[in-house]
This record gives sequence, structure tokens and C-alpha cells, in this order.
Amino acid sequence: MTDKDNCEASGRDALGRDALGRGVSRAASALAKLPRRDLLALGAGAAATLPLFGRTARAAEPIKLGWVGPLSPPGGYAEGLLMKYAAGMAADEINAQGGVLGRPIEILYQDTRGLPAEGTAAAERLIVEDKVVAMLGEFHSSVALAEMEVVHKYNVPIMFCDVWSQAITAKGYPQVFRNSTTFPLLDTMIGQWIVAAGFKNVALLCEQDDIGLAGRKIAAQVLTDNKVPFKLYTADPQATDFTAQILRLKAEKPAFDFFFILYAEAGAYPMVTESKSLGFAPTPHTGIFLSGGDGVDPTFWKNVGNAGVGLLCENVGLPKSGWNDKTKAFVTAFKGKYKTDPPGSAMESYDAVFSLVEAIKSTGSTAPDAIIHGLETLHWVGTRGLYTFSTSHTPDWAYHQFMAAPATVLQYDQLNQSSFDAPIVWPRPLATVSYLYKTPTA
Amino acid sequence: MRRLDLALGALLAVFAAIFPLLVNAYWLHVMIIGMMFAIMAASWSLLAGYAGQFSFGHMGFVAVGGYTAALLATDLGLPLPLGMLAGVIASALLGGVIGWTCLRMSGPYLAIFTMAFSEVLRIIIVTEVEVTGGAGGMTVPQLFHAPTDFPYYYLILALLIVSVGGMMLVVASRWGLFFRAIRENEQAAAAAGVKVTRFRIIAFAIASSLAGLAGTFYAPYIGILTPDVASQDQMGLVVAMAIVGGMESLPGAVAGAIAVEFLVEALRSYGQWRLVLFGALLLFTMRFARNGLLAPGWFRLRGLVAPRAAGLGPEAAD
Amino acid sequence: MLDYILIQAANGLVIGVLFALIATGLTIIFSILKIVNFAHGEIYMVGGYFGYYVITLLGVPPFPAVFVAMALTFLFSIGIERGLLTPLYSPSIERKADYGILITFGLSVFLRNIAIIIFGPFPLRPPSFLEGNLVIGGLIVSDDRLVAAGGGILLLAGLIYFLNRTVWGQALNAVSQSRESASIVGINSERMYMLAFGVGGALAGGAGALIAPIYSLSPSMGLVPDTQAFVIVILGGLGSVSGTIIAALVLGLSENLFIALLPDPSRGPSYANAFGLFIMMLVLLFRPTGIFGRQHVAMD
Repeated sequence: MTDKDNCEASGRDALGRDALGRGVSRAASALAKLPRRDLLALGAGAAATLPLFGRTARAAEPIKLGWVGPLSPPGGYAEGLLMKYAAGMAADEINAQGGVLGRPIEILYQDTRGLPAEGTAAAERLIVEDKVVAMLGEFHSSVALAEMEVVHKYNVPIMFCDVWSQAITAKGYPQVFRNSTTFPLLDTMIGQWIVAAGFKNVALLCEQDDIGLAGRKIAAQVLTDNKVPFKLYTADPQATDFTAQILRLKAEKPAFDFFFILYAEAGAYPMVTESKSLGFAPTPHTGIFLSGGDGVDPTFWKNVGNAGVGLLCENVGLPKSGWNDKTKAFVTAFKGKYKTDPPGSAMESYDAVFSLVEAIKSTGSTAPDAIIHGLETLHWVGTRGLYTFSTSHTPDWAYHQFMAAPATVLQYDQLNQSSFDAPIVWPRPLATVSYLYKTPTA
Repeated sequence: MRRLDLALGALLAVFAAIFPLLVNAYWLHVMIIGMMFAIMAASWSLLAGYAGQFSFGHMGFVAVGGYTAALLATDLGLPLPLGMLAGVIASALLGGVIGWTCLRMSGPYLAIFTMAFSEVLRIIIVTEVEVTGGAGGMTVPQLFHAPTDFPYYYLILALLIVSVGGMMLVVASRWGLFFRAIRENEQAAAAAGVKVTRFRIIAFAIASSLAGLAGTFYAPYIGILTPDVASQDQMGLVVAMAIVGGMESLPGAVAGAIAVEFLVEALRSYGQWRLVLFGALLLFTMRFARNGLLAPGWFRLRGLVAPRAAGLGPEAAD
Repeated sequence: MLDYILIQAANGLVIGVLFALIATGLTIIFSILKIVNFAHGEIYMVGGYFGYYVITLLGVPPFPAVFVAMALTFLFSIGIERGLLTPLYSPSIERKADYGILITFGLSVFLRNIAIIIFGPFPLRPPSFLEGNLVIGGLIVSDDRLVAAGGGILLLAGLIYFLNRTVWGQALNAVSQSRESASIVGINSERMYMLAFGVGGALAGGAGALIAPIYSLSPSMGLVPDTQAFVIVILGGLGSVSGTIIAALVLGLSENLFIALLPDPSRGPSYANAFGLFIMMLVLLFRPTGIFGRQHVAMD
């Protein structure tokens, strides 16, 4: 996929020949020394490739964008793959409409595997070797933190997608933008819902890594501010058997009435099924919230079955009530091509491509500062609504953050319910049902 | 033979010295990572190939070196070079201790024990989040504040030359003989008067200290240190480098590391296929080219180019 | 409090039975081929996926699918043995243990990553064996876990019968003690190697298929059982089937009780894995061949 030829403006030599001309000349002198039989064979072969030559020589040089994200372990390759597909769809659509500034766009994909060192290498390669004009993507905050140092060094703008750590925008690098939600926005919202729904004793179980840690600080803060008692626990990101831990939670006195899980690894599914089968949550006495994105994954229902009925999770896509034409078109196209509903992270990836292209269009240039300016002044409607990026530094994470990033709390009430159809309980202006929380039946 | 080697060596030295000027920043980065892995692969090769101690805990020492240096620098405000020195010493000491505890173990037991050690270390790093930043990682201050990676390149080049050079001296000395004797048959070696205990510990200490050294470089260079550095996948990568280069050749391990690193980077565009191809390469090499691909390939090349110089005599030229 | 400990213990025993399946496979491979199979966790993973596809593509009901999956894993393992392990039997390799370690290590990396491409990256879950839970007073155990444990016990019993009462099993036993003596008596060692690796792999594959409805399948699911299996065979002794089974049950029990009783509920689960590893390291220190193990004999 990487374009090894240097497509920069080709220099001409003393005889007025460009790179192509020089190459042809050199080849001709080499050919002259070959026996006739070989010459004929070569000639036939060469003639066969002529049509190719003609096309590439006349095609406009593409604008290159670099996509980063996990496509293999130990990264979250499942989500990464969907994000990659979505970006590809965006590129195809843009090119079908003639590209931008008269040139097609080309996305180069790099697998960062969830490892910061890979992120650094991927960013270096895309910028220095492939000469992309802008970057997008990523799914792991720790990798994003490594990548942003590289884009800052070379002054290449990047639109981060599904990375929620506030540290990424808080550092204030002008090149860094984020179109997904961030923990301060998300967990404040969830915390407010927990308070409003009237829970009195919360078990907060968080993944033992950056996602869990950053998120739990904020959730804990909201609960403390509102005087809701809670207890904090951590879970091993690699584990699949949480039976012992859940039994322990179940035995706690006073009994918990809410089980808030901040966990995005594959173990989230067994955690939910174990919680249900052990009679901890969801039950009429104890609710359950699965935060981290797994609640809206394609294989959610296949993996949790009945345990998912009554479960709450967040959705970072637009609620169905707010779908505009673009959302509908994208969902239909994605589902048709990949046989699964696109999660919010895929929509982020899709919109990110368009955002960058819009910025290029509005400023008429692919220079980094032009793109940055274009993004700062962006006012464009995508599948997740109207995109604008804040330029305020208060709070520090607001800088270049899509402050209106959609996020809703939904509660499944039927087996195999699509995340698009599940009742939305929060925030109230977007709610589709009158209740805040539906107590599960036994 | 000497003249050929010297000429090639000189060429290599010149190439290494001007390398940063020949390539762009991306490939320089790849080379730096490759040289860092070279230290890890060569030191593992010393332990496993020469001394016969199959340790799968090598990356644990990389983590020890890296985290020691990082913690001292960020929590105690120690200047980074001092922290790096502390990291190397810590790895050496811990390596010696592990070598001592493993004295009665051999073969697969040793491998499993050291693998467990590395896993336990990794779990501790992940769990003690307040201290180490857990799985989210720990940011480490930069060593140099230069606009390019040139200083890092020359530093790692110097470290590589010193460590591999040092190891080659060890291997060529009596100690090297002792290591190989222990590898072939411990009981016979002991009967012949080799102080098996002492030299097993020494082998572990040397190899671990160099792994720790690589770790202390890794931390400030990448800027963020995560527990994955001690994962078994990374161990597999280092093992593959040593095998591809040839288990009994230190320069081979270096070449293997750089070659595999460049290969892994070149395969970047293949996304998920990258590790599949790399695993397949490991399998293929082990199954069909057990002495590695690079070291034997190098000898064959020398045989072709200058058979007499390679000590093969006129009849070997084909 | 008693209820709580009972459930933890019950759960620990269920896990222990499944660990025993995986670990006995590893120990059999070791006692016959004299190598540690570092790809054992990945064979377990492949077995689990075989089970899933047999159910969804061929419509086989869940419980019989376990046995079909075992048969497929048996064939798969034999394929690996023929393709990669035959150099172990020829004099061309000097340090056979090293070869075994390295090639199975490479195999594990390869399988783990190609599984993502072939099976897709999302976790998959085959249908339950039996929906519902068994509830006795305060004790709750899901029926799936009971079926899995039951299936595991069945397989282990079958294995012990096979090893002690059938001709093939006794031949395996003979080879594990002395290859030369066995061949003097007329036992074809090459066929025994194939059988051993096949049986060992089939046991792991069966465990994978039994566990799948409980924990879901994912390409990297073999990593943790891999290390657990090593702990168990070391504790029980590489080469001793009964020692392995006992060690597996003990480990399952103690890890669960460790989590249950450790005062710090956060560190508990993470350190539970380290706990097992740490115990193993201690055992190796004092008894380098495990608790019940025979002296480590190199294949030559």
C-alpha cells in the first residue's frame, strides 16, 4: 500500500529529460546490449505494459492521509478493523465525487497494535517516508500520546478518533484534534445519571490501565461531589474469569445497588455473563453499566445473551432520533458492505476523513497550518452531527476538542436489541423514554 | 582472512558513522530501534546460545532497567544518565540472583521458570498503578533535546559496540570456553574443574545487565514505557532475531536483529499479516535452517568471494 | 461466609478440572516427546474454534460437538507433529530440548496471529450446553460450568483408562519410560510420538470446546491457560498424569480462595495469576523436577 516512488515534483536534467525520460534512456542503452531473442521477448512485454504507463503519467498526484490504529494484538484489533473500513468508505466516496482540489485522496493504513513504540514508528513512517499531509484514527490513548509527540515534532495535523484520555488535548499541541468524547465529558455525564437515577451504593470496577484509571477518577469525583457512596475496585485487563471477584462484591455489606464497569477488553463479556449467572447484576436489586464500548460491539449479544437485557451502556454515535441524512446513508452503506452495525468509533473514523478534507477544501491548501486553521474554523455536518473544535484552553483539555461529541446512555430492554433502537435514558433532552432507569425483572 | 575482515570492518565503521546522513528520519528511527534490539538479541544469544541457559525472562530485565531508570528520574529527580546506570546495576544484580536460583534447573524447567519470572514482574508493574502508571504506561523525560534523533543514534551505536565488543571478548576468553563446556555437558564440565555455579551466575548477570542497558535506552527514546515491553510477544521477537542471525554468533545476532527489525517495518503495510509472516519465518528458519540464516549465509558468501581468504582453500571455490 | 467460601471453592474445582485437561495433555507430550509444547495454549484455542464452527456450520449439538472438535484437534496436532517435530527423532539435532522450545514458541506466535485473520478478531460464543443455574441454598453454579466440569471428568477418566488398560496406552507408557526398551519389545516409537502429540492436543482442544460457552473464544485466549498449564505440570511433575490432575485441582482451588480471602479486593485478582506462578517458582527452587515428577530425562 505504501507508495515507494517519490512523487515530488520531478527535476529535469541538463537535457531537459524528467525522471521518466532518464530512465527510458538508461534502459535503452542496456537493451542495446542484449541478444535479439531476449530483445523481442522484452519488447512484447513492454508493449503489454504501455497502457499502464500512459494512465499513471497523466493521473493527478493523490493527497495522502495517514490512518493509525490497532489491527493486531495486543491492541483492540476488533474495533480498529471497523474504523479502518469506515475510513476507506469515506475515501471512496470522496474520490467518487472527484476528490479535493482536483486530486484524489489516498489513505495509508498503519497497524499500531496498541503499543506506543509502534505508534511512534507508524507516525514517523507516514510522515517522513510516505509524506502524508494529515493523520487520523487511533483507538488506544497510550499510543496516541506517543504519536502526538511525533506529529508535533514535524507539524502534521492529526484528527484523533476513539481515544478518551484528556491528557491528549490537555497538552495543547496545535496539531492535535480529537473528534471523539473524552473522559471529563463522558464520565461526568454518566456520573450525573447515576446520581439522578437515585442509586445509593455503587461498586465501581475499572480496568487496570489508562482507560480505567482516567475514567474512574472522574466518575469517582462526580459521585463524591454528590455524596453517593461507592467503592473502587480494579480488574485485570487479561482476565476472563471474574467469578471470584464478583462473588466477593456480592457478599459485601451493605449490598451494592449498582455495578458500574469500566472495562473494554474481551473479558467484558464473560464479566457480564458471570455477573448475571451469579445473581449479582442485573437483578431487581442491582443495576449494571458496561462502559468502554463493548456494549455496542457487533458480537455483544452473541456473547452475553440474556445477561444483556437491562444492561446500560454508553453510545458515542448520534442517537437515532438525531440521525441526519448522512448518518442514515452511512449506516445503510456500512451494514450492507460489512454485515454489521457501525459502532460510534467507526463513525468517528469516517467523519474524521471528511473533516480533514473539508479543512483542505476551505483553505484551498494542504499545508499543515492551513489544515489546522481549516479545522479550527470548521462548521460541517457529519454522521455525528455538527462538528466544531474548541480553541479555548479552559479547561485545558478543551483545546481542539469536539466539545459537542455525542454521547448517550442507553438501556437494553430486549434480547438482541440493536444499539440504535435501545431506549435512551440520558441526557434527558435526547431521552426516548420517560423513565430514568427500568428495574430489570428477575 | 584477517585482511578481508579488516577491510569489511572498516567499511562497516564508515557506513555506520555516516548512516544518519544517508537516510531520512523514519529509517534512522528504524535503525535505532534495530540496534537496541541488537543488544537484547546478542545478550540473549550469549546466555542461551553460548552458555546454554534458555531464559525466557530476558525482557523482564529490559523492563527492570527501563523502569528503574524512569522511576529514579521522575520520582527522585535524578539526572537520567545516573538513573540509567542504576538501571544497569539493578538488572545485573537481579540477573545474578535469578541465575543463582536457577542453578539446579535446566532445559525446559529453566525456560518455564524464567518465563514465570518475567510474567510475575509484568503483573506487578501492571497492578502497582500508582507507582508505575500500570498498563497505561509511564512517561519518561527525554535524554537529548535535539531536533533530530542523531544524538540517540550515536549513543546507541556506542552502546552496541561496547556491549557486543565486550561480549565477544568474553566469548573469546577462557570464560567463553567455560560457558560452552557448561552448555554441552554440565557434569563433565564440573568434573573437568569448571566452576559451574559461578559461571552460570556470571552468564546471567552479564546478559541481564545488557538487557537492562537496552531498557534504559528504550525508556527515554520512545518517551513512554509500558509493561508490554516484558510481554512474551516481545520475547518471541528477540528470540527470532537471535535464531535468524545464528544462535552461536554474536555479530549474527546483531545482524539478525537489524534485519528482522527492518523486515518488520517493511512489512508494515501488511497490517495483520505482519506477525503471521514473522512467525512463519521463525518456524521456517528453525525447521530448515537451524543454524540461522545470516551467519551461515555470511560464511558461504565469504567462501564465494574469497575462498582462500576465508580459509577454505582453492578446492572450495564453486 | 461459609456459603461464600463454598461457592469460591466449587468454582475453583470446576476451573481446576478444565485446567487438568489442558495440563495433562502437556504432560503427556512431555513424557513421550521430551519437549515442552509452548504452543499448547494455541491448540486449546484452535480446538475451541473447531467446536464453534462444528456447531454453527454443521449443526452438531453443543455437547457432541466437543468430541468432534477433539477429533479435529487430534488430526491438527498430528499434522503439526509430522510437519515440525520430526527432526527431534533424527540425530541431526544436538540440543533437542532447545529445538522443541524454539519451534513450539514460533508456532504459538504464528497460530495466535493467523487466528485473527481466519477467525476474525471479535470474541465468539457458541450456544450454551445447558441454560440456567444450579442453586442449592446459597450456592449458585451455572449449568454450563457443571456440564464442562462433568465433561472434563469424563475425558480425564477416559484418559486414565486409555493409559492403563488399553494396548496403545500401555505402549505410550512404555515409550515414556524408555524408548529403547520399548522398541526392543516391538513398539514403533514414531507412531507413539504421533499418538502422544495427537492425544495431548486433543485434550487441550476438548478443554477449549468445553470452556467456549463460559468464557467466549478469542484468538489470544490461549495465553493465560498456557502459563497456568506450565505451573500445573511443574507442580504436579512433568510426566506424571496423576500428579498433574491433583496439582490442577489444588491450583484452581487455591487461586480462587486467594482472591476470595485476600483483604485487598483490587489487587487480589491480578495477583492471583502471579500467585500461581510464584508458587511454581518456589517449588522449582526446592524440587527442580516438580512434586511428583520423574527426573528430567533428555531425549537422545
